[in-house]
Amino acid sequence: MENLTLLAPELAIAVTGLFVLLAGIFMSPQAKNMLGYLATFGILGALGLTVGSFGTEAAMFSGTLSIDALSQFFKLVFLAVALLVSVAAIKYTEDSNHTEEFYALVLFATFGMMFVASANDLIVLFCAFELASLATYALAGYEKQNARSLEAAMKYFVIGSVSAALMLFGISFVYGATGTTSIPLIAANSGLLVNNPIGLVAVVLLIAGFGFKMALVPFHMWAPDTYQGSPSVVSALLAAGSKKMGFVAAFRLFIVALIALQPDWQLAFTILAVVTMTFGNVVAVAQTSVKRMLAYSSLAQAGYIAMAFVVMTPMALTGGILYALAHAFMKAGAFIAAAAVVWMVTSEKKGNLEVPDHLDSFKGLGKRMPLAAISMTIFVFALAGIPPTAGYMAKFVLFSSTIQAGLVWLAVIAILNSALSLFYYARLVKYMYFLPPDGEKVSTPFPYAMALLLAVAGVLVIGIWPEPFMQWAMEAAKVLV
Amino acid sequence: MLPVASLLILVPLIFAAVTFFAKTKEQAAGMGLLGSLVTLGLALYAYMNFDSSTAAMQFFESVEWIPSLGVSYTVGIDGISMPLILLNAIVIPLLVLYSWKEEREAPNRFYGLILTMQAAVIGVFVALDFFMFYIFWELTLIPLFFMVNIWGGEKRAHASYKFFIYTHVASLVMLLGIFGLFYAAWQQTGVPTFDIRELIAQFQFFESGMLRDAIFLAILFGFLAKIPTFPFHSWLPDAYSEAPTAGSVLFVLLKIGGYGLFRIILPMLPNTGSPNLIIAMMGLLGSVSILYGALLALRQKDLKRMIAYSSVSHMGYVTLGSAGLVALSVSGAMFQQFSHGLIMSILFMSAGAIHASAGTRIINELGGLARKMPKLAVIMMVGFMASLGLPGLTGFIAEFLVLTFSFVNLPGFVVIALLAIVITAGYHLWAMQRAMFGVYNEKLGDVKDINALQVFSMAVIALLVLYFGLNPSPVLDMMITNSEAIVSLAAAAGV
Repeated sequence: MENLTLLAPELAIAVTGLFVLLAGIFMSPQAKNMLGYLATFGILGALGLTVGSFGTEAAMFSGTLSIDALSQFFKLVFLAVALLVSVAAIKYTEDSNHTEEFYALVLFATFGMMFVASANDLIVLFCAFELASLATYALAGYEKQNARSLEAAMKYFVIGSVSAALMLFGISFVYGATGTTSIPLIAANSGLLVNNPIGLVAVVLLIAGFGFKMALVPFHMWAPDTYQGSPSVVSALLAAGSKKMGFVAAFRLFIVALIALQPDWQLAFTILAVVTMTFGNVVAVAQTSVKRMLAYSSLAQAGYIAMAFVVMTPMALTGGILYALAHAFMKAGAFIAAAAVVWMVTSEKKGNLEVPDHLDSFKGLGKRMPLAAISMTIFVFALAGIPPTAGYMAKFVLFSSTIQAGLVWLAVIAILNSALSLFYYARLVKYMYFLPPDGEKVSTPFPYAMALLLAVAGVLVIGIWPEPFMQWAMEAAKVLV
Repeated sequence: MLPVASLLILVPLIFAAVTFFAKTKEQAAGMGLLGSLVTLGLALYAYMNFDSSTAAMQFFESVEWIPSLGVSYTVGIDGISMPLILLNAIVIPLLVLYSWKEEREAPNRFYGLILTMQAAVIGVFVALDFFMFYIFWELTLIPLFFMVNIWGGEKRAHASYKFFIYTHVASLVMLLGIFGLFYAAWQQTGVPTFDIRELIAQFQFFESGMLRDAIFLAILFGFLAKIPTFPFHSWLPDAYSEAPTAGSVLFVLLKIGGYGLFRIILPMLPNTGSPNLIIAMMGLLGSVSILYGALLALRQKDLKRMIAYSSVSHMGYVTLGSAGLVALSVSGAMFQQFSHGLIMSILFMSAGAIHASAGTRIINELGGLARKMPKLAVIMMVGFMASLGLPGLTGFIAEFLVLTFSFVNLPGFVVIALLAIVITAGYHLWAMQRAMFGVYNEKLGDVKDINALQVFSMAVIALLVLYFGLNPSPVLDMMITNSEAIVSLAAAAGV
């Protein structure tokens, strides 16, 4: 009999999700507001269980699931994002009739992501990946009356499905050549893939499949439209959570299972990382929609994390993993701040209603919504890598590792990109603090304020006291090498 | 014994945080004054308890911070940092007094940023861990960026972005150098550390000469761009002249580039592949800065821009004196940093006062201001005389030491710098004569003299310029002690 207590965090999320869904059926629209609190408590419980189980190592279900430092660390990332999203969404779903669906989908998506983090078998990995993806497709189109939200969902769904097919196709090639779907066994038999055209085809297909989730250029086309069109809290989940799912899956698949093919995929990731960060930063400069700008900045950040595949030293992987955690807080926080502004514009019914997250809506935000403005400032400075924030710590470790590996050119490109990104981040700060406000002061709704404070706390704690997170990330990196 | 080094960072930082929440202008300026006075008290306490006869670190504190990366919180003060801390601690409260009566938007942010800046700059001076050093180094950018961008002149957007991007990119290059130093030393010893002195000590053991040169040049570039030295100076005139008066003074107090030369570059220099080539390069850049800055200052129409270019010229002495690599030339360079901070504060305060009351800074549109602004004229005259190197004032001592003692090793470059002395005297006197003396330009209307607080703050600085000009030893002694330690390192390596 399996020891199910090892899966306690996942089970807590699944039970909460089912309960929210069922309870919602019997509740009046007003009473549904408490579902958000319920989901938040469920996530908090799962978070506690995950943190409590740090250090356990186990294989479950005939070795198809692996509980180790890497999976624990990423579960922490996903649960942190889910927590921020679910707190912020208490306000967002206030007037909705489908609150239970929203929260159930968020919880199921998180459940899927957590399974991806511990999947040690390609079939489990694919199923969990699809569970999370399907839930997020529906979430992207949550605003059924909003054409942009529907466009976002449609684009995301179509491209997502094609990518899933490519991924499955790639998995089938790997299975065909090695005769197994278990990640450790593939690694053991990877000799069969080396110098074999099948291996090369599999790598190409898998990179395309996972590249979609990680939003690496050129598999990114959906990302800006989807992040911009989706409800902001959902964008937070997509950019901060779902994207990391792509990374943890790719970490296990490429670095553990397909390590024998390293020369092939490493070259591909080198090009992808450089192109992605440069493209993301350059295009972000030209954006006037803040969510779209955050989407492109999210591409750039994915490019930085992808450097871990290029450098491949323990330090670089530690940096990449730490970056995933840091990015979860900064990006989710930034999207939630955008959500607060969108709420402000739409509830006042004045300003640019067509694009409520336009830069103009952020004019004088320092006076209108001081909390949202100061948090947004901290998030964008963190994204730009300014100390003492989580973004700085993560960049410090990741970029320094490229020097350690002797890849000075890569470090220079990354650092110049980082400097370039300051342009558009500083512009946003300028709008918030230096331009005169367009309207009256608005008090930030409590759930948004709470979520923002949590995210700020995350960004600053990791920035100022990084030692425990460094240790966890190092442990997680050890699983890979 | 107080943990002075930590308090010198913490006190202005805490007061800055409080000041940001001030409701009225009086509260903000009052908190600013109080915070900077407490900092001044701490700096004086450190100075009283300071032992000038040793080059060792004093007020040393060290606590582990991120052990897995070898990062620690390590601070200390020695003869290189003490005068610069003193400079900041003295000028900032006077700056607050100077700007007391000025009307401006958001005074809470204005004074909060001044204190943040003070904390960041002192942080750079006391940090003995590269990680901390870099954090404070970058932190200095943020208050200055906002200072120029919010309260600056007409072209403030351009100037603030240019300054920010320019020096940020240079700092990133330096960061790459620090990474290289860190990992090479880690490989060497097997223990990660960011301790500045430990890393510099390990530097000489790196096998690859190319690696050593690459690390050294990357770090040197960061410092040269910050000083700034020709040809990396183009951000300076825009930033200095577009900044509000307080911002210009903060720029002047930002002596971190030169400080980096003494703390990091000179101890590493003897162990680079071709130290003599690098010394020659630094000497060339320093002397060209002196001459080129002076030539450009001569043709400026805007008084503040002229002062900005004269700053490029004067900072050239810091680079040249460092490259001279004789104890007294290095001390001269250190003293130039101290002296330049005081003198330029007077000059920028004067230019700010003229702009505020006459409404223009274009030299040809001024004229005869001394009649209407006699108090300003006297103090400004002291500043200008000190700036052109009149004996008896601090500028003379610094430049005399640098030129005389750099001549030992770098005679050619000293000759280039000597050419600039005449030009320097020329543009100072010419500007003074056109702006302040002669017939009063009636188009300016009724111009008011500076207020009592401004007289006080500028006069105190002017008196310090005179005092240290006549009796430099209170700060010069500790500089000489440390310069000798630096130079003996180089001598031991046979440079």
